[in-house]
Amino acid sequence: MIEASGLIKRYGSLEVLRGVNMTITPGEVAAIIGPSGSGKSTFLRCLNGLETFQAGRVTVDGMSIDANTPKTERAETLRKVCSTVGMVFQSFNLFPHRSVLQNVTEGPIAVLRLAPAHAEARARTLLDRVGLLDKIHCRPRQLSGGQQQRVAIARALAMEPRAILFDEPTSALDPQMTAEVLAVMTDLARDGLTMVVVTHAMKFARQVASVVHVFGAGLVIESGSPAQIFEDPQQASTRLLLAEVQVA
Amino acid sequence: MDKNDGCAPNPELDGRRLMSIPRLSHLVIGLLLLTPMFAHADSLAKIRERGILRYGSDAEGGGPFIYANPKNPLEVTGFEPELIAKLCGALGPKPVYTYARWDTLLQVLRIGDVDVVFNGYELTANRKREYLPTRPYYIYQLQLMVPTGGAITTWDDVKKPRSDGRKWRIGVLGLSSGDIFANDEAGPHVEVVSFEGATDAMMATVNGQVDATLQDLPASRFYLPRFSTLVAAGPPVGRGYYVIYCRKEDAQLVEALNRAIGDLISNGDLKRIYDKYNIWTDLQEELLDVDPVLPAVDVPKQGLALVWQYRWSLFDAAWMTFWISVMSMPLAMAIGLIVALGRLYGPSWLAGILGGYVEILRGTPLMLQLYVLYFVLKLPAPVAAVAGLAINYSAYEAEIYRAGLQAIPAGQMEAAMALGMSKWQALGRIIVPQSVRIVIPAVTNDFIALFKDTSVCSVITIVELTKQYSMLGNSTDGMFEFALATAAIYMMMSVPLSVFSRWSERKLGLGGDTPKGGLV
Repeated sequence: MIEASGLIKRYGSLEVLRGVNMTITPGEVAAIIGPSGSGKSTFLRCLNGLETFQAGRVTVDGMSIDANTPKTERAETLRKVCSTVGMVFQSFNLFPHRSVLQNVTEGPIAVLRLAPAHAEARARTLLDRVGLLDKIHCRPRQLSGGQQQRVAIARALAMEPRAILFDEPTSALDPQMTAEVLAVMTDLARDGLTMVVVTHAMKFARQVASVVHVFGAGLVIESGSPAQIFEDPQQASTRLLLAEVQVA
Repeated sequence: MDKNDGCAPNPELDGRRLMSIPRLSHLVIGLLLLTPMFAHADSLAKIRERGILRYGSDAEGGGPFIYANPKNPLEVTGFEPELIAKLCGALGPKPVYTYARWDTLLQVLRIGDVDVVFNGYELTANRKREYLPTRPYYIYQLQLMVPTGGAITTWDDVKKPRSDGRKWRIGVLGLSSGDIFANDEAGPHVEVVSFEGATDAMMATVNGQVDATLQDLPASRFYLPRFSTLVAAGPPVGRGYYVIYCRKEDAQLVEALNRAIGDLISNGDLKRIYDKYNIWTDLQEELLDVDPVLPAVDVPKQGLALVWQYRWSLFDAAWMTFWISVMSMPLAMAIGLIVALGRLYGPSWLAGILGGYVEILRGTPLMLQLYVLYFVLKLPAPVAAVAGLAINYSAYEAEIYRAGLQAIPAGQMEAAMALGMSKWQALGRIIVPQSVRIVIPAVTNDFIALFKDTSVCSVITIVELTKQYSMLGNSTDGMFEFALATAAIYMMMSVPLSVFSRWSERKLGLGGDTPKGGLV
């Protein structure tokens, strides 16, 4: 479904990704954990083209780009990638000038060329699923953070994606709101949606993920099932990371 | 003024400020009107004591009257500076050239910043009522200037209909004797086009933008050799007198000047100067004992009645101001948006070109841009006006939009791209609609500025509100009344604009003021 090989990303002389390889199979829920600055988010943003990279290759659903793909071809491919793979951001990034409903219909109407009535029906179903049917006429800023993030998830789902990338979806939320967002994500995981989740929510990684990848200093230092990673970590830095989370 | 640096509102103080506004304006107006009455009781003695006579004149009006000395552009030359030097030789003081725009010279005289107005000012009944004229120093006539081989060969030709049924277009210097004569005498087949400079009207004749120009004889004699494609059409027409104007109370000064002028006429100095500038005509022989008889005119109306009399002229001019504004601003906004988007999201070569576009247009005066569009590209005046304002303001709009676009968080573009939108889709659907809301106040501000900048279009013959005010104010006694009326009309048009702006800001705001769902 999603495959990254040898991804290298530099900001000037700083090497943020130092050759990351990862394969995500359909239906898999991959949790990416790691200390701040280890390159988790950057990696995720390379998968749908929000970041460029200097070496390596990303293949999504058969569509492939590498560091040397010409600009126009890259843009063309990434548009297709983005309509296949959704993204949910840490800071929600809802469109403030649109209502909740319009936020969810925006993609299907603009990109999938869905009839507005059709897009709206789909949006209502999804907003019902994330528990926000009563807020469809609100503006994003009238909602709590948790509610906004659930709208953002509905917005991503409205494109009927083959996978969704979650970039620290609960880091900006307090515990109660975190719980409501994680509940929605757990629900999606049970439905078999392919998900790549960069997260600090260890409980979610442990209970919902099918695979856990541990990042450290621009590399995947350890991968495995949640049981392996959480009960029998092989790497010292993984143990350190988990110990810190435990203390926190 | 109240000295209150505190920020806290003080109702009592505010009340006093409100009261003081009308009082202050009354005071200013009163001072303006009273100043000449007691401040300049005896100018001649004062001038002699000072040793300086300040003569108000406008060297931009051109030759041969007064113009920058080609050998030393910091000095003025012309038959008038030579004449006043002779006059002052007799009087005692040294003449000092004092610049003011030609059409404001009499107001400058009134407030006392010059001692006399000496710049081809014609003797008219209206001016004579307000100011004291000397005896004439020149008897002028008007000369029609036309392109070589044109359809017009004499003044009488313009009284006949044009073969294609349209009107003859006669260019004149606004408010000059040619302007007045053409309006009074030319008849129904002529459209009089008013320019801000005598040479502008000649240039437009060369360009074919007008069919002919009617100029004071001295100006036509001076400039005909410089415009090789123009010729004098027939004998000069009309007749009038150039005089020096002084303030009403300066009878002694006028008497002294009259004596000096008389001496110059009789000792031949006057003829020598006029011969030097090739403006001597046999008519000047009459200067020695001419006693100008002015046609009796009705005492003009004043105050509201005067403004009311010219209400349709003001209305037409206001309409022109409005029309130019509402045509050019949307264009400026559209061009500005394209420029801003190109600079921010286009390829780097395009961004570079557009950056240059903005800098050039912001860095050069609007007036110059209008000149290029009208005199060089020869666009029709209304088209040049709308295009000039639109292009000039597009540079400012582009900068406003650029700031507005950059104010949208990067996450918005990312979210749109992550949905699979193209860059231009994301801009059109997500980024631009949000920045529009941000830039409304700045754009409205510019609209009001543009609205007032329409007055610059008078340099390319557009008669908008300010130009009409200047024309009416100068040709009647109502400078003050028309100033108030013009200001009021500007306000009546710009205040609704501000109200509309505030309304649209509220309307297009990002929500949140009327919560429909529960707020957490």
